[in-house]
Amino acid sequence: MISDLLERLCRQGAWRLGEVVVVPVTSGQVELRHHSDENTAPGSGLRPLERPEELRDLVRYDEAGRYRPLKGAPTLPRGWIFTAGDARALQQALDFVYPGATASWAAQQHGELRVVDLRVTLNRQTGMYRVTQKITNEQADRLVGRFCRSDEGCLRTILWRLDRDRPVTSLPAAKFDPAADQLGRAGRHLPIFCAEACNLLVAEARAVVKQKPA
Amino acid sequence: MANLKPNNSALIIVGHGSTQNPDSSAPTYAHQEEIRRRRLFSEVHCAFWKEEPSLREVLQMVEAEEVYIVPNFISEGYFTEKVIPRELELTGRVTRRNGKVLKYCEPVGNDPRMVELLLLRAREVAPGVPAKETSLIIVGHGTGLNENSAVAVKRQVALLRREGQYAEVLAAYMEEEPLVSNWRVLTGQRHVVVVPFFISDGLHSYQDIPVLLGLEGEPTAAASQLEVFRRNPYTCGDRLLYYASAIGTEPAFADIILDTAARFEAPPPVAATAA
Repeated sequence: MISDLLERLCRQGAWRLGEVVVVPVTSGQVELRHHSDENTAPGSGLRPLERPEELRDLVRYDEAGRYRPLKGAPTLPRGWIFTAGDARALQQALDFVYPGATASWAAQQHGELRVVDLRVTLNRQTGMYRVTQKITNEQADRLVGRFCRSDEGCLRTILWRLDRDRPVTSLPAAKFDPAADQLGRAGRHLPIFCAEACNLLVAEARAVVKQKPA
Repeated sequence: MANLKPNNSALIIVGHGSTQNPDSSAPTYAHQEEIRRRRLFSEVHCAFWKEEPSLREVLQMVEAEEVYIVPNFISEGYFTEKVIPRELELTGRVTRRNGKVLKYCEPVGNDPRMVELLLLRAREVAPGVPAKETSLIIVGHGTGLNENSAVAVKRQVALLRREGQYAEVLAAYMEEEPLVSNWRVLTGQRHVVVVPFFISDGLHSYQDIPVLLGLEGEPTAAASQLEVFRRNPYTCGDRLLYYASAIGTEPAFADIILDTAARFEAPPPVAATAA
């Protein structure tokens, strides 16, 4: 069970997932907040969230009120605190903030995480995205370097390659290293795995092939 | 409502999602929340074509062995027949893989209660307005990859006409004849009620259709940030136009999703589906 793995993780102290810090408190309860609010005392301005759905609605927008279609973007709003009563509630809350992240991590722990290279993803596309098959390796490499970069793109750790024998060369090695925190912090963290390119990247690949901004 | 008992299986509600409009996935999430509250399934997940979790990663999130997959789509078509099966690697109505049994259900728009919900929505948006003096327009997308949405709208219109409550019931589309932008010519009654046969108040129902109806100048913000529905009725010459939220935002869709999953196990007899 994913929740059992999370429970075990919490027994060893605080940990981070993307921009969220998970801090075990008492009797199986854990607190979630933005990592930059880690040292803000509860009750001193952090908005308490009681249900995972409140967190879901909050992370839909960034602090400027802009829609966040990419959940891995480093634009998680600050200023809130969510208390999960048990590991199951924790799992639900994290699934709203970083959908599928804990499940991918659990699958990786069990050696069951399937990685799909970009070329395979693109070759599968039909309809308006079929044209993405025409992107060159050089164009794809540049696109990934621009779109997926951790500082202003996405905090996921990329596991796929452009093609079987062709790694991405446009991003630092840390972007592909599960042991590296994509925000460059020290301390325990879970990586947010990217085992296959998302539809947003596929849509950007279409824009590159069509040579117009997405 | 179909008789669904609490069980140990999982439910995945599949939505289209959008990278542009935050309202697109909102109904799918709302139905997830309501169904979780009822504790009928051990897990209830959402998955999206254009948002996260993606169709590629959602199965990893599922721990139950038996999984019902319900497309929160208004009709059969490109997405239900091609994209969803491809992305989830389904091999048919039932797929057995890695110890799981994946049960691929019909899209919610096929549910026989759609007519009832369309009538409810039409009454809600124009309270106290006599149906016998009202033209009811059901709007679909039409054309291209969504070709089946026009078929689905026509089916609903035929059923609504048979109900005989409204003076007239018409189908209209965004991208094919009869065009919704011609509503003044198409309709004969003073009161005109427009119900989008869409899953969410996404770009189409919240931004594009109001422009086509002449209610808004240019598509602007997301639906939730506008007041399109609060300004009913719109006075257009001597006509009064009432514009409803997309049918898929109706909370009863949570029941429809459950019914769709229940129907997977016990399809109604052929005579009942034809009724």
